[in-house]
Amino acid sequence: MTRSIIKIISQDHKVAKLAAIAIALSLIEFFLPSPIPGVKPGIANIIILFTIIKFNFSTALWVSLIRVFIVSIILGTFLGPTFFLSLSGSVFSLLFLFLFRGINGQYFSVISLSLIAAFAHIIGQFLIVRFWIIPHDGIFYLLPIFLISALIFGLVNGIITTSLLNIKK
Amino acid sequence: MRKLIKKIFQFIRVIKIGDLLTIFIFISLTFYLASILWNFPQGEYLKIQMGKKELGSFSLNQNITKIIEGPIGKSEVIISSGKVRISKSPCTKKYCIHQGWIKKLNQTIVCIPNQISISIIGNRKDYDSLNY
Repeated sequence: MTRSIIKIISQDHKVAKLAAIAIALSLIEFFLPSPIPGVKPGIANIIILFTIIKFNFSTALWVSLIRVFIVSIILGTFLGPTFFLSLSGSVFSLLFLFLFRGINGQYFSVISLSLIAAFAHIIGQFLIVRFWIIPHDGIFYLLPIFLISALIFGLVNGIITTSLLNIKK
Repeated sequence: MRKLIKKIFQFIRVIKIGDLLTIFIFISLTFYLASILWNFPQGEYLKIQMGKKELGSFSLNQNITKIIEGPIGKSEVIISSGKVRISKSPCTKKYCIHQGWIKKLNQTIVCIPNQISISIIGNRKDYDSLNY
């Protein structure tokens, strides 16, 4: 029997556990009916925000990307348009979280980060839609609807993350 | 009930002053974008066509009723300060009447049985991506 050359450290276990929760939340969200097609609460972002505050950015990066890949493989959308929408939204929201992760402190809480992530997610998805899937300016008529949903769900997710972070172990 | 209110207050208390600023910025951004993106240009003139023949252009800023003689009968077009509709038509399905008022640039009402089409034009014609 060959010995495994990959050393598993406690960091890997942490990432795996968090990613598993994020994947479960994404799948629950997939089966929830939505009144407007495409508007989703994005509850998996709670885990990403939790990870970024509780641990560090690189852990959150791993969790987020693992979530995108595994969920798309489970739902059968891997390398399809849905997958790229999800990937671009996640990458954009991670980019903005990376830029703004320092504001969390005395005046700003994780709610601001949640809102920024939600808006960045919408922007990332719209860029992909505009330049690849539907190359027409008409889709920008839909942008305000998605921004309003990002505002509401970003706020709710932020409040949930705050209460999650306040739980003492 | 009182417990619920207390709980809601507990949730709201976690919002810090900077968060209010962020929320305000995002709300104003959303409304600003909505006001830009949902601003449809208004038309100024009305073009009535019968088949391939153009019957003429009329200003939308007037209140008149026009009777147009088509191949199967008379259609009545009402122009009322910036908007226009077909109010009477001899066709069977009455799609043209059910479409109601139109007022935005490049909107069109077509009555195929009576060969009448009404479209709103502005000073500048936008490209119609379907026909162009």
